[in-house]
Amino acid sequence: MDSGFAILARRLILAVPTFIVVSLLVFVVLRLLPADPVAMSLPPNATRAELAAARHDMGLDRPIPVQYAIWLGQVARGDLGTSIQSRRKVADLIVEALPTTLELVASGLALGIALGVGFGLAMFAWRGTAAEHAADLASIAVMSLPEFLWAILLILGLGVGLGWLPFIGRIDPQMRVAPVTGLLLVDTLVAGKVAAFLSALAHLTLPALSLALALAPLIMRVLRASLYDTYAEDYITLARLRGLGERRILLRHALKNAALPTVSLIGVQAGFMFGGTLLVEVIYTLPGLGNLMVQALRSHDLPLIQGIALVYCVLVLAINTTVDIAYLGLNPRLRRA
Amino acid sequence: MLAPALDRMLREPRVVAGGALMLALLLVALFAPALAPHPPNAQDILHALLPPAWEPGGDPRFPLGTDSLGRCVLSRVIYGARVAMQVAVLAALGAALLGSTLALIAGYCGGWPDWCVSRAVDVWMSFPPVVLSLILMVGFGAGLDNVILAIIVVDWTRFCRVMRAEVLTVARRDYVAAARLAGFTHAQIVLKELLPAVAPLLLTLVSIEMGIAVVVEAILSFVGLSVEPSVPAWGVMIADARPTMYEAATGLVVPVVAIFAAVLAANLLGDGLRRSLDPRLAQRLSVVR
Repeated sequence: MDSGFAILARRLILAVPTFIVVSLLVFVVLRLLPADPVAMSLPPNATRAELAAARHDMGLDRPIPVQYAIWLGQVARGDLGTSIQSRRKVADLIVEALPTTLELVASGLALGIALGVGFGLAMFAWRGTAAEHAADLASIAVMSLPEFLWAILLILGLGVGLGWLPFIGRIDPQMRVAPVTGLLLVDTLVAGKVAAFLSALAHLTLPALSLALALAPLIMRVLRASLYDTYAEDYITLARLRGLGERRILLRHALKNAALPTVSLIGVQAGFMFGGTLLVEVIYTLPGLGNLMVQALRSHDLPLIQGIALVYCVLVLAINTTVDIAYLGLNPRLRRA
Repeated sequence: MLAPALDRMLREPRVVAGGALMLALLLVALFAPALAPHPPNAQDILHALLPPAWEPGGDPRFPLGTDSLGRCVLSRVIYGARVAMQVAVLAALGAALLGSTLALIAGYCGGWPDWCVSRAVDVWMSFPPVVLSLILMVGFGAGLDNVILAIIVVDWTRFCRVMRAEVLTVARRDYVAAARLAGFTHAQIVLKELLPAVAPLLLTLVSIEMGIAVVVEAILSFVGLSVEPSVPAWGVMIADARPTMYEAATGLVVPVVAIFAAVLAANLLGDGLRRSLDPRLAQRLSVVR
């Protein structure tokens, strides 16, 4: 069995080739483009010579391996290039958009884990009853709607229909908050503006719920399955013989041991959740990384697509590493060696 | 040997319900020209944004109303099933073929083939699949074939990861060793001993993947990176109906319900197959999605 450090070290060493393969894949695929992104970015009356000059400026007239090597060299020096559409630095655009997405993913994860673990425990406590069966079928139904359809249905139901919650942007447009971290929930509190904090929280609720509803049923089902496995172990019978209450056995004894598969599921799904933010951000007009990526994809903005793809790679890596650490905390067998 | 398994499958209500719903959708897709009251792209600007026929102001010629260009919502959702079902079936089969072939090679051979396949899966898993499929579509360009190809290229790992683990366990069983001692070739062992043993898992995965493929196609067509603009697809309908969702919600709700029905059918079928074919798979499978 590997020791904890070995696992983390392996993860980080593997990250380098992973990043190179993913970026190479993205780079080559984008060079298959039937449309010419440079032509799209110039005014329609641009001459052939101007087009050639623009392509030369961006280095797009060189062979693909050379372009890739140049790009990789620039990335290593922290330069992600310039957006074809907006003519702004890709790194600046990403830094502006990132906090919105991080805030969204963090709250979506928190909400999804809370709902998933809560209902997973409830479902297990109801085992063998009609309620478990109903919850099981309900979880399949909830699972059958992807994030972006939840986003639309929540807007139709809670936003437009009942008028409970706002669904455009991150905060009431009349409110101004000095950016510190870019995370509005933090910045509003730092500035001591309670009304602005509540507005930001209300604006975050529906998009976060859209992401959470896609995650919760998976957690719920995996947690229930591993609780069933755990309850087959002798120490649960022993705890019962010692006269411990059912609630105590479930929460104090079984849950910690049954949590491992759920933690690895959350790790995989948290990475996938960045995919879910793309359309959720478009639908709720949030100025995040996902929205930026959709715009970049639609306008074939190569440097921007590559830059954001790279950031997704790093984010997924960061999440996987965090989950590995959580795993070590929960599983002492991995720590010993 | 197959009859008892089939019998168990058909006694599982989820298999029957999911299978019937999926079959109904396939039939709708197949007979779309006969079922749809109008051609899917026929515009009737004078009758734009009609409510469904049963509401005041509705027109019985447009049972589910019309969109902002006066196109029949019912006809478009029926034709949209063609894109969805073609993608569901072909992408799921393609990803299954690629993913499980690599899984069989990796799990059976071990050594460097296993190392290569496992590292490839690791690389793929380190990137959000939706983003990868969007990037692929930017490179490939619009079209049904390209959508199917993009989904196969992204989702083969869902099969490979789970199937490889299963192949590894099965390959260690005594009867496989016995087959080897009996002088079976490697190809015979893989095809006659390993493949049947992992078939129930494969069947379940294919059915779940059909739902995932429908969702991915809807996401791609919502963004405008799927089929050609003239082809009606459910994601396109949702994107088209979004600006007018406050006046005419049906145009939005109908394709959402269609996607939900397709994914629910796939999930029920997958869950039912898992339960009826191998109860022990519960945990590993639920991690797949």
